[in-house]
Amino acid sequence: MSSHREAPAISKDPVADNTDTYAFVSPDDPGTVTIISNYLPLEAPFGGPNFFEFGDDVSYAINIDQTGDGTPDITYEFQFTTEVLNPNTFLYNTGQITAIDSPNWNRRQFYSVTRVRGGRREVLAANLPCPPCNIGPASTPNYADLAEQGIHEIAGGHTVFAGQRLEGFYVDLGAIFDLGDLRPFQNLHIATMMPAAPGVNATNDFGVHSIALKVPTQELTRGFFRPTDPMDRRSVIGVWASASRQRALIRETGSGEVQQAGDWVQVSRLGNPLFNEVIVPMGKKDLWNSLSPASDGQFLQYVQHPELASLLPVLYPGVFPHLAALTAARADLVAVLLTGLPAGVVPGFQNNTGTQYADELRLNVAIPPTTNNPNPLGVVGGDLAGFPNGRRVFDDVVTVELRAIAGVTYPLVNKAYVPDGAASAITDGLGAASTSYLPEFPYLGTPQSGYQTAPLATV
Amino acid sequence: MSDLTRRGFVKSSAGAAAGLTVLGALVTDQAEAKVQAHEKHPIVAYVKDPRTGEISVMTGEREVHVRDRKLAAQIARATR
Repeated sequence: MSSHREAPAISKDPVADNTDTYAFVSPDDPGTVTIISNYLPLEAPFGGPNFFEFGDDVSYAINIDQTGDGTPDITYEFQFTTEVLNPNTFLYNTGQITAIDSPNWNRRQFYSVTRVRGGRREVLAANLPCPPCNIGPASTPNYADLAEQGIHEIAGGHTVFAGQRLEGFYVDLGAIFDLGDLRPFQNLHIATMMPAAPGVNATNDFGVHSIALKVPTQELTRGFFRPTDPMDRRSVIGVWASASRQRALIRETGSGEVQQAGDWVQVSRLGNPLFNEVIVPMGKKDLWNSLSPASDGQFLQYVQHPELASLLPVLYPGVFPHLAALTAARADLVAVLLTGLPAGVVPGFQNNTGTQYADELRLNVAIPPTTNNPNPLGVVGGDLAGFPNGRRVFDDVVTVELRAIAGVTYPLVNKAYVPDGAASAITDGLGAASTSYLPEFPYLGTPQSGYQTAPLATV
Repeated sequence: MSDLTRRGFVKSSAGAAAGLTVLGALVTDQAEAKVQAHEKHPIVAYVKDPRTGEISVMTGEREVHVRDRKLAAQIARATR
C-alpha cells in the first residue's frame, strides 16, 4: 500500500507505522497549507475493547524542508498521553460519549504540539484532547459532531486534529500483491487469463489515525516568503512525516510495565506514496525507514531502474513492448520522486528543490488549489494542484505511479520515446469515489463505526 | 537550592564549625536530590562492544556516551 506495512520491521509496529502523508494548499483556506500524516494501518472499526489510539511511547513528526537539502528546517512534533478514568473496568466507555470530555469515555488521549525551528523548541499547545474512536450508535451517537470537537485552533494561527479517520487511500491490494494481477487487465495477465473486472478497494471502511495540521503558508516558506510566482524556487517546500521510538526498551518482570530510555530513533517515515513499498528492495526497507531524506542518494539506482518496470512486460506479455526495450535510467522518475520537476517540463509548473536526492512530497505553494472538478490524476491529468505537486487526500496515486513507472512520464525527459498504449490506461480500477472525504479540515472522512461495519466479504 | 543561595546561607551561620556542618548536610542533600531525580527514570547502560570501552548511558530522554574500558570490561565479566 502507500506505506501500510511496507517494511518488515514496521509491519510489526503499527502504532508507529506511517501509512500516508498528504500536503496541499487548503482548498477552502488558500492562505494555509494542510499536512496530514496517518498511522495505524487497516484499523478494523470493530477492533475493541482496546480501540485504536496513538502510542504514548512514540514521537510523531511532520518535517518541512525549505532549502532542498533533505533535512528538516521546521519540525512539528506530536506527543501523546493516555488517561484511564477507571482502571477497574474492561470497558472503553461506560456509557454514551456525547462530548469529547464525557466522563463515560474511560480511556482518553491527549497530545502536545511542539514546533522545532532553528534549534528552538516551542510548545504551541498542550493537553489537546483527541476524539474517541467511532464505536457505534449506542456508544458514540452523532460521531461526526463528536469528532469535530477534536479540531483545535492553537497558537500562531494553526489548526490541528489528531484522531481516527476513514482511510482515504484506495487501492486494490488483493490484486496488486497477487503478482500484479490488476483486475481491469487480468484478461491480459500471464497467470490468470480471467475476464477483466472492476477493481476492489481493499481499504474500504477501514480506519486510520490521522494527525492533521493546518499552517499559515508563510510559516513554511524560506524566510517567510509570500509565494505568488510558481516559478520562484522559494515557492516549493519539501514535506515528509516520521515516527520515532526511544533507543532502549526494558520489560519489567512480573508487573507488565515497560521502561524506555535514551535518544529518539526514527523507525518510520513517508514522503512520496509507495516509495519504500515499491521502489526500495526488501533487504533495505528497514534501513530506509531509519534514514533522513538527505540519505536517499543511496537508493537512486532503484528509482532509475525500478523493479516494477521490468516486471510489467513479463506479467503482461506483449502489452508493454516499448517499456521492455527501455533500459536507460529513468530520469523522469528521479525528477518526480527525488528532486522535483524542473521548470520547462510542464508549462507553468515546477517543484524542483535542487540536486539533492531526497524522497519528499514537494509542494509548490504558489499553485492555487483546484476547487472546481479537481482531477485525481493530478499533474499527469493536467491539474497542477495535485500529486506530485504535494498530494491531496483524494489523489489517485496508485494509478499515477503505475502509469509513470509504465513509461507515460518518460517523454518528459526523452521526447523520442513513445509510451505503450497500455501505459496511459493501466490502473487498479479504482477512483476517488471509492471512499469519502470532507470538504473542510481535516478533509479525511468520518470513520465507520464498529457496529455498522460488516466484516470482509469474498469477491 | 542554588549555589548562590547555599553560600549565602553558610555565610550567615553563627560559627565556622556549624557552617561546615550545615554545608556538609546541604551537599549531601544535593547529592541525594540528584539520585532522586534519576530514580524517576531507570538508568540503562548499553555496551555494544566491550573491547571499545564505549558505554551508552540512558535515562529518560537523555543519553550520554562515555568511554571507560575498565567499566565496560567489568560489565562484560558480570554477564559470564
